[in-house]
Amino acid sequence: MIRCEQIKVTFNPGMATEKRALRGVDLTIPQGEFVTVIGSNGAGKSTLLNTIAGDIRCSSGKLSFDDRDVTGLSAAARTADVARVFQDPLAGTCGQMTIEENMALAYGRGKRGGLKLALNERLRKLFREQLARLNLGLEDRLDAQMGLLSGGQRQSVSLLMSALQPSKILLLDEHTAALDPKTAALVMEITDQIVAEKQLTVLMVTHSMRQALDHGTRTIMMHEGQVAFDLAGEERSNYGVKDLLNLFAQIRPDGEELDDDKLLLGA
Amino acid sequence: MSLFSFMGTLEIGFIFGLVAIGVYLTFRVLDFPDLTVDGSFTLGAAIAAALIISGVNPYLATLCAVFGGAAAGLVTAWLNLRFNILHLLASILTMTALYTINLRVMGKPNLALITEPTVLSPFESLGIPNMYLKVIFVGLVVLAVGLLIAWFLNTQYGMAMRATGANPRMAQANGIVVNQKIYAGLALSNALVAMAGALFAQTNGFADSTMGIGTIVVGLAAVIVGESLLNSRSMLIIVLGCIIGSLLYRLAIALALNADFIGFTTSDLNLITAVLVGLALILPQLRREWKARKAAKGDAA
Repeated sequence: MIRCEQIKVTFNPGMATEKRALRGVDLTIPQGEFVTVIGSNGAGKSTLLNTIAGDIRCSSGKLSFDDRDVTGLSAAARTADVARVFQDPLAGTCGQMTIEENMALAYGRGKRGGLKLALNERLRKLFREQLARLNLGLEDRLDAQMGLLSGGQRQSVSLLMSALQPSKILLLDEHTAALDPKTAALVMEITDQIVAEKQLTVLMVTHSMRQALDHGTRTIMMHEGQVAFDLAGEERSNYGVKDLLNLFAQIRPDGEELDDDKLLLGA
Repeated sequence: MSLFSFMGTLEIGFIFGLVAIGVYLTFRVLDFPDLTVDGSFTLGAAIAAALIISGVNPYLATLCAVFGGAAAGLVTAWLNLRFNILHLLASILTMTALYTINLRVMGKPNLALITEPTVLSPFESLGIPNMYLKVIFVGLVVLAVGLLIAWFLNTQYGMAMRATGANPRMAQANGIVVNQKIYAGLALSNALVAMAGALFAQTNGFADSTMGIGTIVVGLAAVIVGESLLNSRSMLIIVLGCIIGSLLYRLAIALALNADFIGFTTSDLNLITAVLVGLALILPQLRREWKARKAAKGDAA
């Protein structure tokens, strides 16, 4: 379970470039819920994810996982609970290292790295089994350099890596945005599989309204650093992309045009 | 080249193999260009020489030199991580400070070790001629250290260090405390370089305040030679490549200096080194450009 209480994040406080990225976010996500997060650019979606991951410290407020206060924990310390997949396929893996080395790193997530060899036959077998699920033929290329893989392949491996260690929370930051539609669909399919299998609590930022409604069990929209609306259950299942757009217009009473094409057209 | 000078070349080649491994750890593994080594090489020699002269056991003296080098690396890492000083500049600051510290450690610019006991003394009774003994001893030590480092880079900790240099964001997302790995890496790298300095002082019989000048370039040259000869992802081969690169680099320099018809003298060493390293860096770039041009022509046709 993730609980955010009045979380505020301000960048460059007191300076001309001051930016109040999160302005008091209250959000409770029960164990096993899959929340999709939408909102226009600069609404605070990624800031929220990065704050939960620990990359960004809250200026004020409280964050807890399963009623444990984690507000003061570093990003590295939170990885025992949190796994992540980034938007940029290059960000989530080490291009200079091999597939098996990358997976070994992910396998060590949340543990203390010791002076034991990072790879052994038992792990290689596990990695091969996991890679076989992708149907990309990667299970026979364990010692291939990660940098030789395509973006979609790297993102698929990133997803597998995020699930190698038991974690409770999975943070997906537009992890299909940089992929072609076919690969994106494959990656989403694997995402749903892994989430269902591991009973994860998920926050997925997406630019695509369609994706936000088709996946997960709850949708929130961020606007100007706050949760503008929160859809779940039956209400959500009756919603279409049009209804979402209407809602979007309502929270912008100044008649501001929706200028984000991706948000409108996203598949 | 005489047998004697050939053995001397091998000996120095092995010793600078340690420097090359140290430079590989910072420049390649951590992506942290560290010039501290110019100071920590001398620091290792100075500490070992000063302690041996004051009657300390040579092995203990060498161990102290290793710790001294590690401390120098930690200072550079601290300046960079704690105060956000650019890594290159942080290492130059430490290197500059070390110049004075080395003079203080030695008490004067030059210490002679000719008559003192060294790490080699226990083996002198074996009856192996000194010029072979030095090469065998240094070679075995450097190979053992190399194997140890290759093993280390394949452990969980070592792999975390490699990830820190290759992709810090990914490393952090996988629970790796990146700053800790940078501290450890710089300490390890400079410890190896200081060990090289301590061995150099003992096998060559002196420590000098200016002996470290250009250490970084020599180390880098060895890394690059090794990399271009042995293109591999295996840590063992890469680390052995550093040692082989160092040996080949020394042999190339020795041949250039020995070829009378070229007319080089020992004072030309630094220019030769700079030109060799420069070429090693320029040629791959030119090859890439040449390939790209060829590919572009192929497309047009």
